[in-house]
Amino acid sequence: MEILRTVSLSKRFDGRAALEDVSFSAERGEFLSILGPSGCGKTTLLRILIGLLPPDGGSVLLEGKEITHLPPDRRKMGIVFQNYALFENMTVRKNVEYAMRFRPSLRGEAGARADELLRQMGLTEHAGKYPSELSGGQQQRVAIARTLALNPEIVLFDEPMSALDVATRLSLRRELKELQRRFGTTMIYITHDQEEAFALSDRIMVMGEARIHQLDTPRGLLDRPADDYVRSFVLDNLKAKIDSLAAYMN
Amino acid sequence: MTSSRHSVFGRTTILLLCGFFAAAVICPLISMLIHLGDADLPALLSDEGIRTATLHSLAVSLTAAVIAILLAFCAARCMTRTSVRFKGFFHVCLLTPMLIPSISHGMGLIILFGSNGILTRLFGMEKGIYGFPGIVVGSVLYAFPVAYIMISDILRYEDSTPYEAAAVLGIPKHRRFTAITAPYLKKPMISVVFTVFTLIVTDYGVPLMIGGMYKTLPVLMYEEVIGRQNFAKGSFFGLILLLPAVAAFLIDLFCKGDRRSGSVCRPFCPTRKQPRDTAALLVLILLSVCVVFPIVAFITLTFTKSYPTDMSLSLHHVLNTFRKGAGRYLLNSLTIALLTASVGTAVSFLCACFTARSRSRSTAFLHLMSILSLAVPGIVLGLSYVLFYSGSFLYGTLAILVLANTVHFFSSPYLMIYNSIGKLNPNLEGVAATLGIGRFRLVRDVILPQTATTLVEMFSYFFINSMMTISAVAFLSNITTKPISLMIPQFEAQMLLEASAFVSLLILAANLAMKGIVRLIRSLLSRKKPSAAPTTD
Ligand SMILES: Nc1ncnc2c1ncn2[C@@H]1O[C@H](COP(=O)(O)OP(=O)(O)OP(=O)(O)O)[C@@H](O)[C@H]1O
Ligand SMILES: [Mg+2]
Repeated sequence: MEILRTVSLSKRFDGRAALEDVSFSAERGEFLSILGPSGCGKTTLLRILIGLLPPDGGSVLLEGKEITHLPPDRRKMGIVFQNYALFENMTVRKNVEYAMRFRPSLRGEAGARADELLRQMGLTEHAGKYPSELSGGQQQRVAIARTLALNPEIVLFDEPMSALDVATRLSLRRELKELQRRFGTTMIYITHDQEEAFALSDRIMVMGEARIHQLDTPRGLLDRPADDYVRSFVLDNLKAKIDSLAAYMN
Repeated sequence: MTSSRHSVFGRTTILLLCGFFAAAVICPLISMLIHLGDADLPALLSDEGIRTATLHSLAVSLTAAVIAILLAFCAARCMTRTSVRFKGFFHVCLLTPMLIPSISHGMGLIILFGSNGILTRLFGMEKGIYGFPGIVVGSVLYAFPVAYIMISDILRYEDSTPYEAAAVLGIPKHRRFTAITAPYLKKPMISVVFTVFTLIVTDYGVPLMIGGMYKTLPVLMYEEVIGRQNFAKGSFFGLILLLPAVAAFLIDLFCKGDRRSGSVCRPFCPTRKQPRDTAALLVLILLSVCVVFPIVAFITLTFTKSYPTDMSLSLHHVLNTFRKGAGRYLLNSLTIALLTASVGTAVSFLCACFTARSRSRSTAFLHLMSILSLAVPGIVLGLSYVLFYSGSFLYGTLAILVLANTVHFFSSPYLMIYNSIGKLNPNLEGVAATLGIGRFRLVRDVILPQTATTLVEMFSYFFINSMMTISAVAFLSNITTKPISLMIPQFEAQMLLEASAFVSLLILAANLAMKGIVRLIRSLLSRKKPSAAPTTD
């Protein structure tokens, strides 16, 4: 079932197109990756989806209702940034609990709910620490817990792993899939790592130069690349990675 | 960053801040320019006295700036590039003169080198060092700590890796200077030169005290406005004094542009090296003695019965000073300083919350206004306030002194907080918006606690400078609102040097107390929270 749809979104910065006629839809509960080179407009798209940036044209629909001009906190979406943007002056628990205090529906159970989320994220022993005392992976999990606390329908991720080392990335990847299963949340995930996109996603959106080239399952991308761009950006890169890995193994 | 779409809280605050700057900076300056219309410009331009004073000002300021910067450079190199001992102690000594008014430096020289001065008699000199040499020495004393703190900052953040590379490549020492040091120092040093020059050329504390018949522009302006109430002529001087300050401002803006941001590769960690460290020790001892000597003279003069004939300990001068109303004026000063510190810190914080976090036309305007006050000398600000506010309900109240001080000292603390807030995560506003946390709550619960140490530093900066200043307040205070710093020239004019010395000590004591409190609060803050909050020193 469809949860999110965009209709020919466009955005220009100083006359240059950052997004051009971007239309796609996401299914409820799916893991959708947005894959593309630096500067192709991935972050711009995400910021428009969540309402941090108004589009020049086009619209965003959530569950069939137009939300293009709704403020960010009324869209039932959450976002996790690359550098987490945790509140450095608050403990881990306070970080997770803080925003719930301003939601009448959650205020009463804020403390209990924060503890439960911290438990699920394996952060209980760190609850009293400050973000600066945590590793990158742990900070990442705090940011996710903080976002999940408000019960979003969709969670957006902007290259959440790019600041982490390979081992942490691999374990977080598994956790992310596990979380998605448990909460049934729709996740839209930006990355420029082909391998990561293939490992995580139900579907992958390949972007290049302000537009969508193809939106398909990983299998579909491999079997039926839409154009030369997809073939070279996705498949050749992926193949190069596998080759270098193979060379390393030998 | 959420640009252009500020919340209600944001829009009202920005509007209020713009109103503040309009009333406190733009309107007064414009009214000064308008008064210029009353002046007989051709006559002023060909006035012999003005031309002489301009030449005097230039001669004094250039000489003093060069000497102060050379000495400060020596001191800063000793502190950053040698492993001399007692660095902490020397640092305090070299910076202490920053805690007394410029006019006290002039006073100290009179005590030491005046026609009846301690050293004049000791060396059996004919007459004191009034005039050119006196102003130069006083201005050097006054400007030295400022130059020192700027240069040691520059040297401290210089990267050592190019030198190591050069050493490995076997590049000769003098070549290293032309190839690495000079290019690195060029731009920041230009900024130091202009700042120090402006500081000296717009100061009237030192020349008023020790200049004698050798009149500089600020003194002439002071006499015109305070003595003869000639505002048109005063405005003309104001305009001349505005020029170097505006030039310094523009050059600083240009030189800061490509200064490397925070990411120091590797700082210098000098090893022990005998002859060099000993030489550095001697230099630092000599400089510290010179710089601290006036303060010792104040103490001697204040607490002896009658220097130099009767050297027995006595509180006679202290009591006498209080009898002449020092207590009341000290209270005035403390009130003004505390109010300025509170208002100034609050306004600059609020301002930076917008200018450092979002780009729009209104925040660009606020930023420009905030750093512009750097280009307006206190004496010019004072005059423009007289012209704009006289007759209004503010005139003659403590409030106008607080307002003038807030504007006068605004830019440095503003830049401190601007940098601190700018370093916070750029996505904070985005996260807050998606979590439904309003702008006001974000400022109060996240930005404010994270910049607390900087706020404390700003508070102390406003406080200390308000305690010391005589420039703007000389034009704006009256018998009931007068701050204690203005007692120094008054007592000196009444030949009560001991009382002047004691007043300088009182100001120093208040400022040292503030420094102590700041240290205490900082250590409390850093104990409460383990993370390394961005600090500025
Ligand atoms: N606020 C802005 N002002 C001007 N140009 C912008 C702004 N934000 C983005 N752009 C431009 O729009 C284009 C797309 O930027 P965007 O940040 O969406 O790319 P991205 O795909 O997220 O890249 P990366 O992988 O490097 O994060 C870039 O050319 C960028 O320079
Ligand atoms: Mg991006």
